[in-house]
Amino acid sequence: MAVLELINVTGGYTRKPVIKDLNFTIGQGELVGLIGLNGAGKSTTIKHIIGTLIPQQGEIKINGVTLKQDIDAYRSSFSYIPETPVLYDELTLKEHLELTAMAYGIDEKTMKERASQLLSEFRMEKRLNWFPSHFSKGMRQKVMIMCAFLVNPHLYIIDEPFVGLDPLGIQSLLDQMDEQKKEGSSILMSTHILSTAEKHCDRIILLHDGRVRAQGTMDDLRKSFNMPSATLDDLYIAMTKEQDNE
Amino acid sequence: MNNLSQVWSKRFNHYLSEVQKYMRFVFTGHLALVLVFVTGAVGYQYSEWLKVVDRSFPAEWLVAIIVGIMLAFSRPTTLLREPDQVYLLPLETQMGYYFKKALDWTFWSQVGIVSVLYIVGIPLLNKVTELSSGQIWLGLALVIVLKYINVFIEFNYRYALRGKFVSIDRFMRMILSILAIQTILTEQFLFTMVYVVLLLLFHFTWRKSVKEQPIPYEHFVKLEQNRMMAFYRFANYFTDVPHLRGAVRRRVWLNFLYALVPYTKNNTQGYLIFRTFIRTDDHFYLWVRLTAISALVAAFVDMPIVILIVSAAISFATTIQLKYALLSSKEFRMDMLFPVDSSMRTKAVQKLIRTFVFLQAVFVLLCSMGDALFYLPPVLILLVSELTFHLSKNPNNA
Repeated sequence: MAVLELINVTGGYTRKPVIKDLNFTIGQGELVGLIGLNGAGKSTTIKHIIGTLIPQQGEIKINGVTLKQDIDAYRSSFSYIPETPVLYDELTLKEHLELTAMAYGIDEKTMKERASQLLSEFRMEKRLNWFPSHFSKGMRQKVMIMCAFLVNPHLYIIDEPFVGLDPLGIQSLLDQMDEQKKEGSSILMSTHILSTAEKHCDRIILLHDGRVRAQGTMDDLRKSFNMPSATLDDLYIAMTKEQDNE
Repeated sequence: MNNLSQVWSKRFNHYLSEVQKYMRFVFTGHLALVLVFVTGAVGYQYSEWLKVVDRSFPAEWLVAIIVGIMLAFSRPTTLLREPDQVYLLPLETQMGYYFKKALDWTFWSQVGIVSVLYIVGIPLLNKVTELSSGQIWLGLALVIVLKYINVFIEFNYRYALRGKFVSIDRFMRMILSILAIQTILTEQFLFTMVYVVLLLLFHFTWRKSVKEQPIPYEHFVKLEQNRMMAFYRFANYFTDVPHLRGAVRRRVWLNFLYALVPYTKNNTQGYLIFRTFIRTDDHFYLWVRLTAISALVAAFVDMPIVILIVSAAISFATTIQLKYALLSSKEFRMDMLFPVDSSMRTKAVQKLIRTFVFLQAVFVLLCSMGDALFYLPPVLILLVSELTFHLSKNPNNA
């Protein structure tokens, strides 16, 4: 069964839809890249999936349930890393981790085990009692990443994770993603770093003007664009040119 | 040129509307009443004192010092913003026009204060000195001229030194301004001329060095941000200023209170709310201020009915203000995605308010010990708070 399922989803901020008739699924243990230009509808799609926007038409299911059917089950099934870190100014790093664990019903012992492993992976152990006002953009990003992985959900939704992270941070994130995949979790990741997406994603969804332009493995995409040895960068540029000519 | 004039007038209008928006709240609040009352009381005291003041009182010095100190504080209002360092960069050479507008406004917005201070001093000068009214008005003219010079010097000085050593400049101008006013009031016009010429020399020196330098955007932008921040903080005492982020402090000595929200899924929002309240200056000091007023009234006022009214009113204010501060929020927060019941936040806020209103009641009880019916105000505080919380609407559903 698909972990995430979008069926004919149309939606946006106002009545004028930003995303139109989206259809895609993500299976268990899959890492899927959501690729598109600025304004293609990546973040809007993600906002619909996490439930801060409600689709005007269509349905979104996580593990077979919609938000309406079972809000608790829906929400406990995923964790989300936003593009811009959203932290509480009045909570320390340690308290961010505790709060997240409490919310997802993780007991204290498990929380401590997972947290200590993540803290050393992202080299943040020494900053446990710091407030976010003293963190750089990259460190704030790491707090969000650690909170998301602490939850250990079925599905990760990650919006443009690489901007602001140092190379070691990027590597740690990719390692974590690989590990979670092996354990059967699924990941939807939007990004502009195409070389990384090409290397790590099992499948790619190309979004253009709010519609799915093409989706599949790299080989599928090459076939559909008729460019046998193309990189994702080439395909991406071909797609935008094709649209310009229309 | 035309462009920059539009930039200025647009900003100026925005600034005025922003100030008006909040001043309306300030002056419709209790402050207006307090101000009228205080001005009346001070005016009365002053006129009583004038009846008995000694002829040897150094009135010229007093007026010169007070007005001189105020003259030295001539912080320029440039209305520059952070993006200007990028977008106005190509217009560097034309910015003179913009700054002229800015300094004109700085002068007009600040000349009132020094003039009023001087005018308040006139009855004293009339009483103590032999000055003719013409001479006294000549003094006012000098004050206005001095203000104009001071505004330009402070701007150029900040410009030239990029905001460094401002206090040295202020001190020098303060001394020269005081001496200029004192000498004109004691009819030593030659000295007045000397001091004014010195100020002008000061002015021309800095103006010259300004011409060789790029605009110190960073300093002026920071100055503007600080000024607006101070204004918003002030306005925040009377109304809720949306884009004001309160400072955060750890307040370790209150850590024991977190024991009220132990680690369980049901306490998720409580965990967050208790820390938010205790560590955010705005919320926490609101409670401290209101509790202090209630306790002081209970301790020092002898009329039980007054104590009851005040403690009930303050319990109401504490509850309603904290409820709105902690529940209304439109920004995205991660807890909006948490798999917890959506009513949990309201319940957590209720628990917090109960805790801190209870503490308020305890302080009032301690302060009213010994009075007859000492137990009534605390009971009333708890009762009013509960009623307020239940009968007021939830700001998120509004």
